[in-house]
Amino acid sequence: MPTRSVSQEYIKGLWEENPVFRQLLGMCPVLAVTNAMINGLAMGLATSFVLIFSSLVVSSIKKLIPNQVRIASYIVIIASFVTIADRVLAAYFPPLSKSLGPYVPLIVVNCIILGRQEAFSSKNTVGRSLIDAFGMSSGFIAALLILSSIREILGMGTFFGYQVMGGWFKPWVIMVLPAGAFITLGILLGLFLLVEQKTKARP
Amino acid sequence: MSLFARMIAVLTSVGLLSGGFLATVGLLTKERIALNKQREIEEAIVSVIPGTQSSEKLYEEEDFSVYGGKDESGSLLGYAIHASGIGFQDKITFMLGTNSSVTRINSLVILEQTETPGLGARIVDRVSFLQFWEKRDCTHPLTLRKPPASTIEDLSPTEINTITGATISSEAVLDTANVSLDKIKELMKQGKLSREEGDAN
Repeated sequence: MPTRSVSQEYIKGLWEENPVFRQLLGMCPVLAVTNAMINGLAMGLATSFVLIFSSLVVSSIKKLIPNQVRIASYIVIIASFVTIADRVLAAYFPPLSKSLGPYVPLIVVNCIILGRQEAFSSKNTVGRSLIDAFGMSSGFIAALLILSSIREILGMGTFFGYQVMGGWFKPWVIMVLPAGAFITLGILLGLFLLVEQKTKARP
Repeated sequence: MSLFARMIAVLTSVGLLSGGFLATVGLLTKERIALNKQREIEEAIVSVIPGTQSSEKLYEEEDFSVYGGKDESGSLLGYAIHASGIGFQDKITFMLGTNSSVTRINSLVILEQTETPGLGARIVDRVSFLQFWEKRDCTHPLTLRKPPASTIEDLSPTEINTITGATISSEAVLDTANVSLDKIKELMKQGKLSREEGDAN
């Protein structure tokens, strides 16, 4: 594994290993809850909470867990944090909990989280795992916000619930529907690849 | 320790620790979650029976319960029907307020829904759908007006407006409302709702 500086470890989650645009992980919440920015942000924060704490726990007890039962142990740890996030949302932010609906419990099977435990936290120190988790979380939140801002502005004419488009604007209903999620994600993935090719082509 | 014993020990302790942790979080949030639900129902009752000072659950069955709203003197102002029915994707739960003789609808509030955002989800806030429920005559089954009328005066007293592009969601709310109104009328006939009034007299 190449050694990275602390800042590189963080930044890789934002760009070169961005969970959504580069690794194409966690597509279910990415497509499902990005119809409004507030939903995207809440899902991003809930996932980050689970990712950061799971990485913390897994990297601290990695030596105790026998290889044969590691996946089962990781899933139990992840599921515990997801349930905590779900209960806390329901208790203190009932409207958000309602609009995220079944997608909060589904964070358990979000591949980003298990993927980071398996690929990173189980092999690295607590400190590095935390930096990695923060980087991946930031990259995930950024991706959700990019996607949901495009969908909310075009689909409803609003930005975080505030009207930003004038009266002349007719909302593109398709953007808040599942098809809009696929179209937006596809175009964004294409753009990311294009930028990468351009930057690599430069000598 | 053999590998087998270690595997069992690790999995058991991870499970026990997680379980204990979750039980604590569950206990800490349980009360607040129940309180949120309770508050949501109370707020909905006040908004569908204007002037309500106190409310009481009069009847309950699965996906259908009736609350009575009373003023300061304890006389019945009307009923609030808390009902759920299947919408386009999943259950739609609403609170429907009627007068005390169940002949007229006060208003409707949608409490829970997972309809398509931008289409069916407009049942929550579309003015020409929601507000046009007000003062409907519910002595007969309500019907759907399609295409929608632009003002409430254009609707006949037993008509409900459709939302363009969300016919199924509008229909789902209407069907559940009609079924619930039938149920509450039946309950009234059987005298199952009037015992509170009897006590007050």
